[in-house]
Amino acid sequence: MPVSNVKESRFSRIRVYLRRYRKYLIWGGLATVLSNSLMLINPFILKLSFDEIENGAGSSDILKYVLAIIILAILAGLFRFMMRRTIIWMSRKVEFDLRSDLFNHLLKLGQNFYNNTKTGDIMARSTNDVEAVRMMVGPGIMHIANASLSAIIAIAFMVYMSPKLTLYSLLPLPILSFAVNKLGMMVHTRFSKIQEYFAVLTSRVQENLAGIRVVRAYNQEEPSIDDFAGHNLKYIELNKSMIKVQAMFFPILFMLAGSINLVVLYFGGSEVIEGNISLGTLVAFFAYLAMLIWPMIAMGWVVSLYQRGTASLERINNVFNTEPSVYSEPNAVKDRQFHDSIEYRNLTFSYNGRANLRNINLKINAGQTVGVVGPTASGKTTLVSLIGRLHPVPRNSLFIDGIDINDWDLKTLRSQIGFVAQEPFLFSDSLNRNILFGADHSDEAVVKAAAQTAVIDEEILEFPNQYETMLGERGITLSGGQKQRVAIARAIVTDPPILILDDATSAVDTQTEHQINQRLKGELKRRTAIIISHRVSAVKDADLIVYMEDGAIAETGAHEELMEKDGRYAALYRAQLLAEELDRM
Amino acid sequence: MAENYHEEEALGKAYDSRLMKRLLKYARPYRWSLISAIILLISGSALQLLLPVMVQIGIDNYIADKDLSGLFHITLVYAGILFTAFLLSYGQMYITMYIGQKVQYDIRMEIFRHLQKLHLQFFDKNPVGRLVTRVTNDVSVLDEMFSSGLVSVFGDLITLVGIVIAMLYYDWQLALLTFAVLPLLIVATMIFRRKVRGVYREVRTRLARLNAFTQEHVTGISVIQMFNREKATFGRYNEINTDLRSAHLRGIYYYAIFFPVVEIISAFSLALLLYYGSGDILAATLTFGELVAFIQLVERFYHPIRDLAEKYNILQSSMAASERIFNLLDTEPKVVKHAEPVEFPETRGKIEFDKVCFSYNTDEWVLKDVSFTVEPGEKVAIVGATGAGKTSMLSLLFRFYDYQKGSIRIDGTDIQRIPVEQMRRHMGLVLQDVFIFSGDYAGNVRLGREDIPDEKVIEALEKVNLYRFIRESEGGIRAEVKERGATLSTGQKQLLSFARALAFNPDILILDEATSSVDTATEKMIQDALEVLLKGRTAIIIAHRLSTIEKADKILVMHHGELREIGKHQELLDRKGIYYRLHQMQFKQEMMKAAV
Repeated sequence: MPVSNVKESRFSRIRVYLRRYRKYLIWGGLATVLSNSLMLINPFILKLSFDEIENGAGSSDILKYVLAIIILAILAGLFRFMMRRTIIWMSRKVEFDLRSDLFNHLLKLGQNFYNNTKTGDIMARSTNDVEAVRMMVGPGIMHIANASLSAIIAIAFMVYMSPKLTLYSLLPLPILSFAVNKLGMMVHTRFSKIQEYFAVLTSRVQENLAGIRVVRAYNQEEPSIDDFAGHNLKYIELNKSMIKVQAMFFPILFMLAGSINLVVLYFGGSEVIEGNISLGTLVAFFAYLAMLIWPMIAMGWVVSLYQRGTASLERINNVFNTEPSVYSEPNAVKDRQFHDSIEYRNLTFSYNGRANLRNINLKINAGQTVGVVGPTASGKTTLVSLIGRLHPVPRNSLFIDGIDINDWDLKTLRSQIGFVAQEPFLFSDSLNRNILFGADHSDEAVVKAAAQTAVIDEEILEFPNQYETMLGERGITLSGGQKQRVAIARAIVTDPPILILDDATSAVDTQTEHQINQRLKGELKRRTAIIISHRVSAVKDADLIVYMEDGAIAETGAHEELMEKDGRYAALYRAQLLAEELDRM
Repeated sequence: MAENYHEEEALGKAYDSRLMKRLLKYARPYRWSLISAIILLISGSALQLLLPVMVQIGIDNYIADKDLSGLFHITLVYAGILFTAFLLSYGQMYITMYIGQKVQYDIRMEIFRHLQKLHLQFFDKNPVGRLVTRVTNDVSVLDEMFSSGLVSVFGDLITLVGIVIAMLYYDWQLALLTFAVLPLLIVATMIFRRKVRGVYREVRTRLARLNAFTQEHVTGISVIQMFNREKATFGRYNEINTDLRSAHLRGIYYYAIFFPVVEIISAFSLALLLYYGSGDILAATLTFGELVAFIQLVERFYHPIRDLAEKYNILQSSMAASERIFNLLDTEPKVVKHAEPVEFPETRGKIEFDKVCFSYNTDEWVLKDVSFTVEPGEKVAIVGATGAGKTSMLSLLFRFYDYQKGSIRIDGTDIQRIPVEQMRRHMGLVLQDVFIFSGDYAGNVRLGREDIPDEKVIEALEKVNLYRFIRESEGGIRAEVKERGATLSTGQKQLLSFARALAFNPDILILDEATSSVDTATEKMIQDALEVLLKGRTAIIIAHRLSTIEKADKILVMHHGELREIGKHQELLDRKGIYYRLHQMQFKQEMMKAAV
């Protein structure tokens, strides 16, 4: 792709927003022009009044000028208010839209994006980067417009009064701009080095604290402190090299600003002595130049706003340019109820370059209950999560009701499934809303029934606020077992035809688990259920048991069949009987 | 991370004298630098104020008298003052920023040193990310206050005073007239401050809420997608986002009013000056140049006032940061030294547990009345199901935690009476989850002990069969090792941690055997290395491998926090108790697999 094209597309998103709010931009621009023009008349009035004073005028003679100054300031102030009110206002709206669009896009992205992107990075996109873009389109635009306009108007007035003095007095300005820019760049390069080292410093601390047990066990506290002191010192040294430059920034600014006055004092003074200009003009020049210094400084600032803004925009665009890996095809099957079968046909699934599932062939008929067992990392969770299409599934390998899963509408497909993960994720919201998470209604009786089936109702009623109890972030106010049971209630509340339990009772004690299984039995009869469990007892009665190993199905069959076969499943079963026995000792 | 966003919600007051006093203590060591900075600041500000005076003299004495060479001279003086003021303020800026850096260094060291002392329960409760923020970002915020806040606030005040004096000197009546608009300005600023503070607080809490929401829902994205909740979630996000926007928009309002109001007030004072000044000039009580100087002084007057408003934000965030830092520094380490510590220069390696009871929190015992003795040179294996209390025993022995009842003795001395460093010097620990530091191989073996020479490091690596591999990599033992050993295999990491323990040559070795399976060749290497490692030491091993257990002099069988069986492998098997079942459960499959 040619470079210019990249640039074009980089801003295309921003352009859409700006077009949306062009009304603000137009009014803002107008207000900027008016406020600056009005404000910059004042030094000229100062000149006129000084000229009159020089000619012996008294207070009453210059009353008109005094009033004009006040009225102009008030009018300019009004427009200045309008300027902020429109341009900055717009920037906040753009920020809102951008952030909102970003989040909406994030909601569509699939697991491969989230597994490869740190949450911290995503957070940085939606906070710092969005803010940087806002600074570019809001204060950035405002200051650049302000600075260029006031420069043009001031210079016009100055040329009108004395072209020669204008030339002299503007001489230091480019030097000022250059110096500010140069210093800014020096600070910037040194600052990025410092930032890099800051990351080193951070990771040192991080590492030390994460490995604190090793540090303690090997008496490494003192050496760690020495090591950290070394990095800390290096960081400070880098900072010192920056402050050498940074400390110069404002003093140089003031000196250059002062030197403008110096030029005006000498050359302007000479002109007055020679009678080319009046004293009032000299005074007006002082005033105009004082008004020009700030915009010149602001220019440098706007440059850095622009640099930061574009870098952030690029990072945001990277997220926008990531296409969702899982999406509905245009002619996807909608409005269909699952009723026949789930079938894996020679499915092989790779993820992050590793084959997670190999040659899976399995047919689950509607109404069946299937148990899945096997060692950790044998592919059990991957096997079931493909049914919800949380990952892209290769074509011709997984069929729901005989239809390739890729041809199902995502929404329709997922509404067929109730899913309970091993470590269920609950939201910081009320219990009621957590259970109703997937439902479109809010029927209290249904919530209660679901909670009863999941054997959590009684415990909820013991909380002071019962179903209105607020959960902490990620549900931290509940125990692991309680979380799992709330998640079960959440899954069955929508009455889905397919129910998937991924070791959903691993943190629940045996007795309660037994109770849940009893109550679920009725539920399972009406549905198609897939149950992953590390406890064989939970899947023993299933219609079909699948033993997974290394991403492949090692054994399938009903409990009796597999026991008879005396293979891996049988060994696992016996080991667990022993474990139960052991637990009772 | 999530905690961080919530913390933001708590936004304290802008100024807290208690915190400030404590913060200023950090500047104490640099008080002479600070004083010289203040002297430079005062003289620099004074010179800056002389500039309008020069303009006045230039106009009244030379331009009015048409004295070109006089004008040239005063211009030179002007230039001289300008340059001197530049040097002074550069010096002042440099010194203050330098102090900021020094203070930053000191505070960082203090926090880090404090963290090295804190008990492990503290780390169980506080996520590493949050603690890292204390050492890094929070301190940076403080630096901003020291280097650009404190001194320049002082400078702004001095400039204000100087301007007031200069104006009074020229014409006290006119000066008083100019100050007449001050109350207006002060009232406007105060109203603005109050309003903006309210908005600022609102923005911060709403932003924190938005961030917390984003973080939570990004983490739980698969649940949202599975339950088809994208639209509903987006709706709630937009509600919070709208709240945030409306707070922002309100803020714009205040800013949009405040800045023009200040400009109008300043125009008003200019108008007043002009009106009365022209009368004074006519009455010859004021010269032309003096009026010009006056106008320039008034212009400078508004600068420090606006500056002061900006410093307010820096102050506010530094107060919040210092509060968090001091909270951390005020947390006392819990593993305290015994009142009468016993010197512990040597050990034979005898370990006794005597009715030890321990719990992480009071309501549930993790270890109940555990008693046993390990003789010097003995190899003891601990076995048991998950949650039986094996790891807790190791943690106690290393004094990561303190037990509540009973006693643990080494060579007959209660470990709570031995200074922790001395005790740990005799002990080596190899954890199940091997922790590798970024750096090089040598650094990971000797950790911080520079007295372990390269030869010893290589010897240790050779003994665990790792040197063959390292020799081939570029740089040998100096070859880079990535954070958390990302480039090493599981087996290599284990061997490296064995080498580490070997190099430290402890009398007592504590080992939590890794459960992760490795290929047969690596397994063999690990077995061999383990044998070397155990030789001639007292060792306690949480064992997962049958071969390790079979070789042990003694097996301790832990069950539900109690020590239920002690004996040798065959004895315990014959007893047909817990060990027998554990053995059948854990190793039957292992043997079966091996057979297949």
